[in-house]
Amino acid sequence: MKMNPVYKREMMVSSRSMRMPLIITVFNGILAVVALLNMYSNVVQVRLTADVQYSSFLDLYEFVATIEFVMLMFIMPAITSGTISGERERRTLDLMLTTGLNSWEIVSGKLGAALVTMFLVIVSSFPVFALVFVYGGITGRDVLFMLLCFVTSALFAGSLGICCSSLFKRSTVATVAAYGVLALTVAGTLAVNSFAYSMARMNWNQSGYTMGMIGEQTVNSGGFLYTLLVNPAATFLLILQGQTASGAGGVLEMYGTRPSGLILDHWLAFSIVIQLALSGVFVAAAVKMVRKKGIGRNA
Amino acid sequence: MLEIRGLEKKFGKYQVLNGLDMTVPEGSLYGFVGPNGAGKTTTIKIIVGLLKPDGGTIRLGGEDASAGGWEKHVGYVPDFFGVYDNLKVWEYMEFFAACYGLEGLRARRRCSALLEQIGLEDKTEYYVDGLSKGMQQRLCLARALIHDPEILILDEPMAGLDPRTRFDFKDTLRELRDQGKTIVMSSHVLSELSEICTDVGIIDQGRMALTGSIRDILSQVNSSNPIVITLFGGGTDKALNILKSHPFVHTITVKEQDIVVRFTGDKQDEAVLLQQLVDSGLLVSGFTREQGSLESLFMQITGKDEERTVLKYENESGL
Repeated sequence: MKMNPVYKREMMVSSRSMRMPLIITVFNGILAVVALLNMYSNVVQVRLTADVQYSSFLDLYEFVATIEFVMLMFIMPAITSGTISGERERRTLDLMLTTGLNSWEIVSGKLGAALVTMFLVIVSSFPVFALVFVYGGITGRDVLFMLLCFVTSALFAGSLGICCSSLFKRSTVATVAAYGVLALTVAGTLAVNSFAYSMARMNWNQSGYTMGMIGEQTVNSGGFLYTLLVNPAATFLLILQGQTASGAGGVLEMYGTRPSGLILDHWLAFSIVIQLALSGVFVAAAVKMVRKKGIGRNA
Repeated sequence: MLEIRGLEKKFGKYQVLNGLDMTVPEGSLYGFVGPNGAGKTTTIKIIVGLLKPDGGTIRLGGEDASAGGWEKHVGYVPDFFGVYDNLKVWEYMEFFAACYGLEGLRARRRCSALLEQIGLEDKTEYYVDGLSKGMQQRLCLARALIHDPEILILDEPMAGLDPRTRFDFKDTLRELRDQGKTIVMSSHVLSELSEICTDVGIIDQGRMALTGSIRDILSQVNSSNPIVITLFGGGTDKALNILKSHPFVHTITVKEQDIVVRFTGDKQDEAVLLQQLVDSGLLVSGFTREQGSLESLFMQITGKDEERTVLKYENESGL
């Protein structure tokens, strides 16, 4: 099978760079130090109280998973937002476009290389992840599900970055735009729901006081809740909540209670499918824009 | 080989190409010249498929460019060298070979042969960003040849090269032409174009102002240049009388010992005039038509409007 030449070159060049070994070393170093400190504190606690608190081991899992998620949300746009615009700045994009390569091969090669790089960082942290299995509480299925969440989020953030990279001529602008849209998706949807919920509560308090109604069951952020379907952080927190039974991921409950329905009952499946679909839209837009925006205007 | 008809391109309100016609004969080394902003780079980008024209047709070997698969026939050397960090010369070549679907042993053989042809066979392990400008330009040429295209399009390929490298580069281009490649090359160094090109096209304001074989164009330029007559031992007045009454003489300027005559006749008329002067007893020690150059022609075409009109008229009338 013929390997995508852009992917092959990207992997070759990134394997020579010092950047990736440095990221892997620093990232795993931090994880390892925190994990060892966590284990040490547990051992000390056992010595002092003779009680083993399994929740502490789950804290370790939560911590490692959260760090990995935050890192991939930060790193993926940084890696991908300079890919196409960088080629444009180096003026190598024109050379590629005059060969037999099509825009899809260029975009998929770049995105594939970024995803594999990110995957490498995640896989490298598995030994720290595996410490949780020493004590139990988390199954292999849980870890695989979390990995699916990471891949979806990485694809979402990466395709958003590559879309911005295709759209803007300068890498700096593309990076700022990618982080801006991602911040809007993550923090914006949460902020909109908080606002809508507080408005709803305010209205309910007023009308409830007037009409003498009691109960808060129907107060929620309304249809704005469904904007969280596109929020990878909300999806991650929900998965984490389901796996560790902690209160950290009670995202949906934060914005009021509501009767069950098809989407609410299958929220994770819907959110993952929607985020994958959006990634597809970003990639399609990137493919379309590579040729349009990659052209200079010299007479 | 390459035929462009009525090519049009507009950027916003700015009409860059305005019905450009261009014919590049097979096996020729075609010099494509014009002032800045005339539309050279736009034309080249349309030929290599980086820009879509607003109108007109491009045919290569009878095939329409819009039919697809065009990139297999064209090799492109831009006016810059796109540098990749951390990529060695042979990796750079193999990457572009893979872009054209060449892989494995076939690709390695092709890369080696091309690097040898351009004299970079001992630089295969060098990083491309560490090569000199001349080497980078040669590597760029080798890259453009990787898929063995029929036509090579070079945009200002010798800009910024030192004289030695320019000389070598010209030699390589001649070799490629001898191998049967058709080459279109834009440049501002007109003396170099007239040295190596077989054909030339001068573009101005998005139209082809003048095109043809370089020999024909230069001979036409020569015939519009003045004749300088040098007399030995005086007799200027006598000569002026003869010249004033001649039907092909338009202007006469006396410069010390020389008489500069704008003469529109052909070679035979020139010979008759010389005979007349000699028969009248004048000692004619010099009778030469000033030699024209591509540079002077370029200046004429892209200079005053009045002169440009004359040349365009001449061009249309079969230059």
